[in-house]
This record gives sequence, structure tokens and C-alpha cells, in this order.
Amino acid sequence: MGTKMGFMVDSNRCIGCHSCSMACKNYNQLNPDIVWRTVYDIKEDAYGQPTRITMSLACNHCEEPACKEACPTNAYEKRADGIVIHHEERCIGCEMCVYACPYNVPQFDKEKKKVGKCHLCYERLDEGLSPACVSSCPTQAIYQIDVSTIGDGFENSLPGFPDPKITKPSVRFIKPSIVKKL
Amino acid sequence: MNVKRRTFLKGAAVTGALIGLGSTQTEFPFQGLMKAQGSGESKKAVFQNACPRNCYDTCSMLTTVEDGVIQFVEGNPQNTYTNGTVCVKGNVYPRTVYSPDRIKYPMRQKGRGTGNWERISWDEAYTEIAENILKIKKEYGSTLPICLNKYSGNFEIMHYGIEGTMSSLGYTSRATGTPCWPAGIDAQTFDFGTIVNSDPEQMAKSKYIILWGVNPAWTGVHSMNFIEQAKANGAKVVVIDPILTNTAGKAHEFIQIKSSTDGALALGMAKYILDNELYDGQWLANNSIGYKEFFGYVKNNITLEWAAEKTGVRVEVIETLAREYATTKPANIWIGYGMQRHTNGGQNVRAIDALAAITGNVGLEGGGANYAQLDSWGFNYHAMVHPAPEGSEGEADRAVNMNNFAADVLAAQDPPIKMLWIAGRNPVQQDPETTLIKKAFREMDFVVTVDLYMNKTVELSDIVLPATTPFETPGVNVSYWHYWMTLNERAIKPLHETKSDVEIAMGLSAKMNELESGSCTYPTSGDLEEWVGKEFNDTILEQFGLEKWEDLKNGPAKMKNKEVAWKDGDFRTPSKKYELYSEEAEKFGHHPLPVYVEEMKSTEEFPYRCITPHWKLSIHSQFQDLDWMEAISDKPFVEMHPDLAKRNNINEGDLVKVYNEIGYVTVQAKLTKTVQVEEVVMYETWYKNLNYNVNYTVKAIPADMGKKATGMPGIAFHDNFVNIEKV
Repeated sequence: MGTKMGFMVDSNRCIGCHSCSMACKNYNQLNPDIVWRTVYDIKEDAYGQPTRITMSLACNHCEEPACKEACPTNAYEKRADGIVIHHEERCIGCEMCVYACPYNVPQFDKEKKKVGKCHLCYERLDEGLSPACVSSCPTQAIYQIDVSTIGDGFENSLPGFPDPKITKPSVRFIKPSIVKKL
Repeated sequence: MNVKRRTFLKGAAVTGALIGLGSTQTEFPFQGLMKAQGSGESKKAVFQNACPRNCYDTCSMLTTVEDGVIQFVEGNPQNTYTNGTVCVKGNVYPRTVYSPDRIKYPMRQKGRGTGNWERISWDEAYTEIAENILKIKKEYGSTLPICLNKYSGNFEIMHYGIEGTMSSLGYTSRATGTPCWPAGIDAQTFDFGTIVNSDPEQMAKSKYIILWGVNPAWTGVHSMNFIEQAKANGAKVVVIDPILTNTAGKAHEFIQIKSSTDGALALGMAKYILDNELYDGQWLANNSIGYKEFFGYVKNNITLEWAAEKTGVRVEVIETLAREYATTKPANIWIGYGMQRHTNGGQNVRAIDALAAITGNVGLEGGGANYAQLDSWGFNYHAMVHPAPEGSEGEADRAVNMNNFAADVLAAQDPPIKMLWIAGRNPVQQDPETTLIKKAFREMDFVVTVDLYMNKTVELSDIVLPATTPFETPGVNVSYWHYWMTLNERAIKPLHETKSDVEIAMGLSAKMNELESGSCTYPTSGDLEEWVGKEFNDTILEQFGLEKWEDLKNGPAKMKNKEVAWKDGDFRTPSKKYELYSEEAEKFGHHPLPVYVEEMKSTEEFPYRCITPHWKLSIHSQFQDLDWMEAISDKPFVEMHPDLAKRNNINEGDLVKVYNEIGYVTVQAKLTKTVQVEEVVMYETWYKNLNYNVNYTVKAIPADMGKKATGMPGIAFHDNFVNIEKV
């Protein structure tokens, strides 16, 4: 088993504050309308009692990346550590990956006429830092993991998350606990 | 489960130091791997900044600057409250600075509200302003026709130079009071003598936490970390709120209460505690006055059935809550600002304070009735304190009610108000009764606004002066919640022609004295960093364990001995005890006891309560206007229960007119069962390209308290009743 870098999404700790999403823009200095990490409201009655719960998603660095499959110019690379990199210099902006990804991850930048996406801040990992989103989460609700060694006991999906069978995403979840309304 | 701890910038403590980013890149056996940007030879400097926004968290930040340009803003891990992270607003700061929407130079508008702006030089701006001031002085014999409206847009200490600008010109009119939190301040002032909360980091030690009308998941994210720690240590978390908020989503239990009836719930709990003798008689005997009178009132006037009917909370729920709260030690109540924005808000806070007192949770580590604090604010306010010029007419400034600003400005006589100076504030977007506010602005002879962006208030001004962001000017800041102090360093040169408010005061003073010698006492020059030093005195240095203020250059400092509020029973009331019976309250026209005061009710014509809380992506009209923020959310909405929507034939996404007798807002419906059927929720904020403003429907109804501590009562923002119809 090689390493498979990805994210743990702890919806039990996630407070839906969007710090992660903006930290990514802050660090990567993305063009104004581009968002690489999105905080989704989970359907309020997904677990019965209506509540406000959230999950934070970016690129899932899939084992079988649909973006890479779809790309005609070989702009996607799956590194040995599992991180899926998009090489902008090879991208022709055809958006095939945008249509292929079940998670709506690759974002087309109208100004650059190219696609971009989360690369797990691999350059920060190389420096011993966490990805910008992870280091800015006030409740430590997301962190990078190696899914090959994380073990069982975690969810593969949460309500609203596309079927993990499609691309085998390197993401694991912790279920939100549901508040009891008295 | 073992959460991986973060690693931080090595040597983050050494601010302003040059950090060479070593390249320790692992070479993967793959071709075409992009080199990590900025690795290798680049040199970066890291500066300390202090977020100055109106927020619990007042983050200590680290700003990475490369070649004079901000690259990244993050939390400073030296501050154990901020804990190395900033919220969504803090993360948007690079865009705050480099947004194309920044006002870049002074401008004059030909015709207020026309949008016909022209660029002018600073000298022209100063000249026009100074001439207008001198003209007013000549015509009215004083500077009282000039009115300042400044408040929470920037709480950094040097920004009190804005008040100083006015003082140095003479006696002026001042928007006085605070819209947000004064009812609760007065309530706690009657009870404790002032506001002091325990260090919020101590929440981790609590065994029972009630979050009462507060939504830190959106408005104080770092506190959620300590709440999570308490949960991990076995604490139970209960949220009481009319809305099932994102904070409530994190709790064990949620109690959905009818708005503005919090006092009835607290008194119902007190009744149960009294009947079952769960109170701490010894603490009350030693530390309080009036507990017998309070118990007498509760015994004779309160029943659980009444409390249940009032609040919509079942009797057995009140009983369980009361029992658990009274028997689990320590128990912490965090009293939010939202729940006191009512005509009985202060009274409701007093009833909640009483719960903490009778159960002996006051002065207990991990306990308390925590609202806010101002103990860590003992600066000199050097930027603010300037005498009126020799021979100034009048004796004192004239107070204008900030919370009824439009009506008060229009009603002012002898002399009338003719000129407005607005800084750190956006009344046209954020004050109640928008229509009347616009009228007041139009009636002025001259309006000057200092701001970053072309907002609704700037649109109704004659002159706009471009302000600096926190990253472009030095300062120092503290919080009204935690006890950290952070130095704010100048990370980059001011962009364009922007100036800080103190620099503007200096420039205006030079021009005033040039046109009429002796007409302004503000210094005309000074080193801003030295001015930061002038804010310190021996007391505040000692409180924070600092030898000299420059020690803050090594990182934030924390005030000592604030872990537990009131642990020595050193109350600051007239009796030096906790006052369940407050003669001071009586002097201000309230009942001396925390009795229940009837809440405002809906009418046949306007049957739904409209709550207008804070929005997660903004602080009032700051941040949501930026395009980076629009990328996350670009549409406001009104939240309503599906049953109410059905009753009015409204579907998800339909346009809805929310209206009452003073105005209306048209906005998309968002159906959710997290709000109550008889209440709708609109979040107060400013979207740059939309005419969305909740205040078109909000009336300037005063809250019950606030006059003692802040000079004016607060605003009952959430006592707003509306009707709705599908557009």
C-alpha cells in the first residue's frame, strides 16, 4: 500500500464558519470568483431532527481521478503520495475535467482561461506545514491524512456527498452529532 | 481520536524578522513537478497585526509580506485564544487591502447622492473642510453645529484620534451611546458594578455550559474551540435561542425560546431552584444583598406554568434545565448580545445573572455569567485627549443619541446641526430607519466621511477621505471578551493616497491654523509609532506584565489575574456586594429586582417578528461587499419556516416582500425548520451591488437599559414586527 494523501472532514467539529474556504483564497491568492474549498450546508433534516450542520470539501485527491481520466492534454498528475496535481502550463482550458469531476472540484478561471484546483498545498507539506485551510480551521475540523493508514472507524461519505465508488476519493468523514431539540 | 496538531511557522515569534524559506522539498520521481513557489532565495518579513473589528475575538495576526506586498494573513499562535487561526473575515484581509474598490484619494461629490465624484488633492480637501468649519463658527458662534458619528468600524486605540479631531476644534455635537450591547452592560452594572467576564479560555474547565442567545460559530469562532474542549472533558452544552443556529448544531441540547422571553425562562428556573432548595445560601449571605427580596418575588409571582406559556418551553424542560444547571459545578452561562436587543433585554440579562448568583457560580473557575469586559482597556487615550482652542464657545460637547441618530440630528436646535463627520461608521446602511437617515443626511450643509470603500454613507457625502487599513498604520488593540493585547505593526506602506485618522487630524489641524491661527489644538505632526507608545501608562504595563510597551514587539501579552471574574467577591456596586436588589437600577427608572417585564408583541397588521442577526461573512457592513466574499455568498435571503411559507403561498427561492409601516425589503425566501413559525430571519449586512438593507424595516425603538453605562439606551433591533407577501 502506497501513501494516499487526502483530507479528514470532521463534521462533528465543523462549525460552518468558512475560514478554510477563505484561507485557501488568502494563501493561494486565487482570482476573485474562484473558490477551491467549499463549505456545504448538509441538508437540514438528513439525520431527522432539523439542524444546521456543515461539511467542508476541497479536492478529494481520488484514487481514480475522473479529472485525470478526462484531460486530453495530460495536465493532471497523480503523485506517488496520492496528491493530484493540475499542471497549469499544460492546461488548454477545455473544461473536460470540470464536467468529469463528480465533486465539482476543478474551477475554470475565466481570466486565465485555464482550470485550477486544490493541490493539498503540497509545497507547504514539503516545508512541514499544514495546508492553508487546515492551519486556519479554528476547531481543527479538517486535517490532512494518509487514508492508507488511517484505519477503519471513519465514514466514507456524508449526506449529499456523491457516491465514493465512482472515483474512490481519498477523504474520510466524521459524522456530525445531532443536537437534541427539547 | 488523535487529532494531528498543527505545525506553525518556525520562529513566528520573531516578528519583522527575515525568514529564509529553506527548500526541503522531497523530490518525487515524477517529471514536471512544479517547484514550490517562493522557495529557495526569496526573503519574507512577518509582521504582527491586530484585527480591530467589532468582534469578540480581536485576533492576533501574522502578516507575511514579500517585496512590500501582503502574501498571507494568518493567526498568531502566541495568542492562546486566537490559537493560530483567523476567521473567514480575517482570511479575506489581503483583499480588503488590495481590492479595486478601495477609495484611493480624496474626492468631492457634486451633488450629494449623484455619484458625480471628482478627484481632489489632500490640500483641497483640507481647505474645503476647514473653510466650512470656520464658516460655521462664524455663523453660529461655536462648533456645536458640527456632529461626529464614529463608532465600531475600527476599535484600535489610535482611532480614538477621531474623537480627538473634534475636541481639538472646540465643543461639538457627538453621536453618543452604542447600538449593540448597552442594555446588557447596564444590567451587569446594576448586578456586579460593571462588566467583567472570566477569561473565555477558562470555558474549557466548565462542566455545564449554557450559550444563551449567542452564536459564536459565526461571531466568535475561537471560543468554539474552548467549548469543544469542555465537551471533550465531559461538559454538557445547552443552547437557548429563538433560532437553531450553527452554534446550536454543535450543542447537546437546544431550547427554542420565543424571542424576548429569556427572563421568564430564567425566573422559571429560579423558581424551581428555590422550591427545591438548590441555591447556595452561604454564598448569597456572604456576597449579596437583596436575595430575600428576590426569593420573595419569585415565590409570590412566578410559576413554572407561567414561564412555560411565556417562553414556549415545556415545564419539564425548564425543571430539568434548572436542576442540571444548579447541581453541576462549575456551570457557565455565556450571555449573548442578541438576546438583549429588546425592550426588556436588560431586565432579562439581570434575571440570568441572578441564576449564576443564587447557584454560587459567580466567582467560580469555569462558571460565571459572562457577557463582556472593559478592564483591559486602561490606555491613556492620548490620541483622543485634546483641549478645545482658547476662547471656544460653550462648556461641553452636546450628546446626540446615536441610537436615534436621524431624528435627533433633525430635531437639534440652538444651534441646529449643519455638518457631519463620519468615521468608522456606516449609518446609512446600519442605523435603523434608513429612510429617515437619508433625509437627515440630505438636510445637512456639509458631510465628510472617512472610509475604505464607496458605501451607502459615502454616497450621501460631499467629501470622502481615503482611510488606511490596519496593515498600513501602527496601533495597538485589546478585546472586550478575551484578555490579550496585540501590537499592530505597519506591515506595508499606505496604498494610493490613504491616510490614518490621526494623520487626517494632523493635516486638518495644520490647515485650520493656517487659515485662522489657534483654531485647532491637534498636533500637526508626530511619529505614529511613538504615538502608540504614548497610549501606555505604568498601570496598564503592570497589568499585562510588560516592562515597556516595546516588549509587545515580541508578541501579544495577556492581562494577569483575569481567569475568574469576581473570584475575590470584589464587586463594584455601591454596596460592594452582588446586588439582586439594586437601588441604582431604581434610580434609572427600573424595578430594583430582576423582575419580568412584558415583551413586545406582534400586531394583527404585522404578525411576524423579524430578527436581524449578524451574518457569518460580515461584521455589519464590512467584508460581505468584497468580491472574495461574494464568491462564497452573493445573495441575501429571508429565512422562514415551511409552515409560514405555505400559509403565504411562498416556495423556496420566491421573492418575498418583508414590510411594515416604515419600509420594506424584497428578498428571496429560504425555507428552514430551524426558525420558529411566527418569526422570520434576515441577516444584516451590505452587498455592494444590491439595495438590500434590513434597516428599511427596523425602527429606532430603545431597549430598556443602557443609559447608565453608555449614556443612551440601546436599540431593540429584534423587536421588529413585519408582514410578508409573495412578490
